[in-house]
Amino acid sequence: MDPIYGVNFSAGELGRVASTGASTTPSRSFQDFLLDSIRQVNAMQQEADQAVEQLMTGGQTDPAEVLTAVQKADLAFRMMMQIRNKLLQAFQEIQNIRI
Amino acid sequence: MWNSLDVSTSALVAQRIRLHAITSNLANISTTHNEEGEPTPYQPRFVIFQTAEEIGSPGTPGVRVASVEEEQKEPLWKYQPGHPDAVREGPMTGYVAYPNINMMTEMTDALEAARAYEANLGAIEIAKDLQHQTLRIIA
Repeated sequence: MDPIYGVNFSAGELGRVASTGASTTPSRSFQDFLLDSIRQVNAMQQEADQAVEQLMTGGQTDPAEVLTAVQKADLAFRMMMQIRNKLLQAFQEIQNIRI
Repeated sequence: MWNSLDVSTSALVAQRIRLHAITSNLANISTTHNEEGEPTPYQPRFVIFQTAEEIGSPGTPGVRVASVEEEQKEPLWKYQPGHPDAVREGPMTGYVAYPNINMMTEMTDALEAARAYEANLGAIEIAKDLQHQTLRIIA
């Protein structure tokens, strides 16, 4: 799904900003953690897409399983968006600091 | 994190298969031939459920259908001498063997399966709501 790549990109940018700002290892590992979770969300979205496709093309999948996959992907995406919002908010706070 | 959703979904699938067995019993309530066309009355089916450790976290397993079994019931005998499947000789001459399925029992089982399905839908709704509420910590 498209929005994932957009978020993926901006999160990567954020991670780079963080790592150039303070070149310590913890920020690097946080970036990895973030990218990992985004990849997981992406995988769940793709899983849900495949399940819906199977259901619509008359596969063997049970409707309940498909809808649960969609719901899980939706919740995971919302969670990721909230984390992104929080990160952006923190970033903007820092940007507004006058030197 | 997704355990309760997965466990409840496994129950939804299991109850649906149980409902399949019940509808099959109701559909074949007067079936006198088996799949090969032999004059054997249909035997009612029932499902066996089993805890599924691979669904959900350890200690809170989901459920799956272990097997679908056939009951071994005596047939219901009806006197129909003109029926092609009627017994030709012996003490049951002129009787036809019908499946021993009680419509009331099957309907009660169907309602029970439907209620169990609804209950699991309710559990899913609660789990979903909790997830949404949790997001409010950060928002």
